[in-house]
Amino acid sequence: MNPYEPILTKIKKIIPETPTITTFVLDGKPIEFEAGQFAELTVLGVGEAPFTPSSSPYAKDLEFTIMKVGRVTQKLFELKEGDTVGVRGPFGKPYPLKEFKKKDVFIVGGGVGFAPLRSLFLALVENIKDYKKIYIRYGARTPKDIVYKYLLPEWQKIKNVDILLTVDVGDEEWKGRVGVVTTILDEIPVDIKTTPAIVCGPPLMMKFTTQRLVDAGFKDSNIYLSMEKNMSCGIGKCNHCRVGRFYVCKDGPVLTWKDVKDIEDPFL
Amino acid sequence: MNFFLLPSNNLNQLLKNFSKGAKIFYPFSENGKSHIIEYNPEHNFEPDFSKIRTAQNIKNFFFPARGIVARFPAKIELRSNPIVLMGVKNCDLRGIEVYDRVFLKWQPVDHIYKERRDNIIIISADCPEPHDTCFCNFVGLKPYPEGISDLNITVVKSGYLFEVFSEKGQNLIDENKGLFIEAESESINERNNLRKSAIEKLENINKKRIKEKVYELVEKADKRTIREARDECVECFSCLHCCPTCYCFLLSDYKKGDDIERVRVWDACYYAAYARVGGGANPRSRIDERFWNRFQCKFNYFYQYEKFFACSGCGRCFVGCSAKIDIREILNKI
Repeated sequence: MNPYEPILTKIKKIIPETPTITTFVLDGKPIEFEAGQFAELTVLGVGEAPFTPSSSPYAKDLEFTIMKVGRVTQKLFELKEGDTVGVRGPFGKPYPLKEFKKKDVFIVGGGVGFAPLRSLFLALVENIKDYKKIYIRYGARTPKDIVYKYLLPEWQKIKNVDILLTVDVGDEEWKGRVGVVTTILDEIPVDIKTTPAIVCGPPLMMKFTTQRLVDAGFKDSNIYLSMEKNMSCGIGKCNHCRVGRFYVCKDGPVLTWKDVKDIEDPFL
Repeated sequence: MNFFLLPSNNLNQLLKNFSKGAKIFYPFSENGKSHIIEYNPEHNFEPDFSKIRTAQNIKNFFFPARGIVARFPAKIELRSNPIVLMGVKNCDLRGIEVYDRVFLKWQPVDHIYKERRDNIIIISADCPEPHDTCFCNFVGLKPYPEGISDLNITVVKSGYLFEVFSEKGQNLIDENKGLFIEAESESINERNNLRKSAIEKLENINKKRIKEKVYELVEKADKRTIREARDECVECFSCLHCCPTCYCFLLSDYKKGDDIERVRVWDACYYAAYARVGGGANPRSRIDERFWNRFQCKFNYFYQYEKFFACSGCGRCFVGCSAKIDIREILNKI
């Protein structure tokens, strides 16, 4: 199989999440993956960019929740249901779910960073008896920027799931917490010494969240960080995503704080 | 060891025979400089195996500056022409060694590279007269090949002494058996003396070796040293484009009729946008960070994986550098 050639499929459904974030549901499942692995999504004639699926690895469709930020995503957002896209993958290593068993799992997300965490969350929920309790701490800029608003009430009903949201700036209708995501990390009701913390969000959020988790006493090797790098080939050849001696496309996209703490500004 | 001697007069016939099934490329020298040219029986350009590596590197044969790696919905057809690449020096073999690790050993295998690589026969050659820009010995290499290629040539008084390194190479000798004669020990002794003399010349050019545990020194280099090293850099990035061990590339898509062609183009880590992501974050936004990335990549990261440096000592980075920054001096300083 040619590792550079995408599998072509159609966009089945487009779900606008926020003014700048949209979920693209693809027709069928062109690739199998495990939570944490990523794929390259091709907009025909434009190019490709790396994204981690936001759907459950057990689901029958493949979904990506994507923010409009760059050249490829600008064009992706112009596509309609029924249009063709390409998918290449899966790439990288999944979250080590076996190591999470019988433990609490502490998930911290920011903005569109909730996308890969949703895939992880759904994978955990699939075998929820294997874990003690799943915590989600999620921050968005405003209430309008919260993704998966229509799913959150259902998730909150699941036994042994604890979800807490915050927004940087509230509005008249918002009755929840206000403040950046680290403000809801003051109380962490888990066994900090053994609990894995999984973080994904914009660079600054990742930086300060990691600092807060380290200060709280999480082990460096228990803090799992999604590294957003420029993965071009996805197979450890082109060199663009290398951070220190790690190829984010092969060794990541999730690395632990232990892996990257000696790298100057690993979140940039 | 497996030696065969090709009398000088038989070289033309050998080239003619090779050209029946493949394109042949070899070094041709002009004004003391060596360049790669394609064999054409109608022209009278004699191969010259005695000079140092050619001005241009041979990366393009293995991994073209612009090459199609996928086509969709229609599929790509892999069909490269057989090539005999002659006169490759040991420094350029180091480049091939790097590509082989990245594209063949590191999984998954890059089939585009493999198909091309399988169609190239490499006939290397000793490097009897190193220049002051050469530093293969500095990075632990010798001025003559001991493998990687299929055959190796040493130019001796009585002709061309061939050493066989691979089955492909042996087949070539067998197919042209009539042109070769048995290699006398005299020629082999002559070769050994030429090699000894080349090493002595290199020892005079580069009295020092790369420092022990240079990977640690590169990793820990202080910011002032790095800034001083890049002070003269005019950001032409010639050093990366002419480097035989640099292999970075970028994928880009182009419409071609009803299909999309995915093209791989050489890239260089000194470009500001190299590591930038869609959202704008850039792990190496400053030139001194990018400048040092080259040293980290060649002497630390690649070494951590393969236990050899992704630097061949060919000296093209220095020759091509607008500011004449000498990589040896920087590595000696840290």
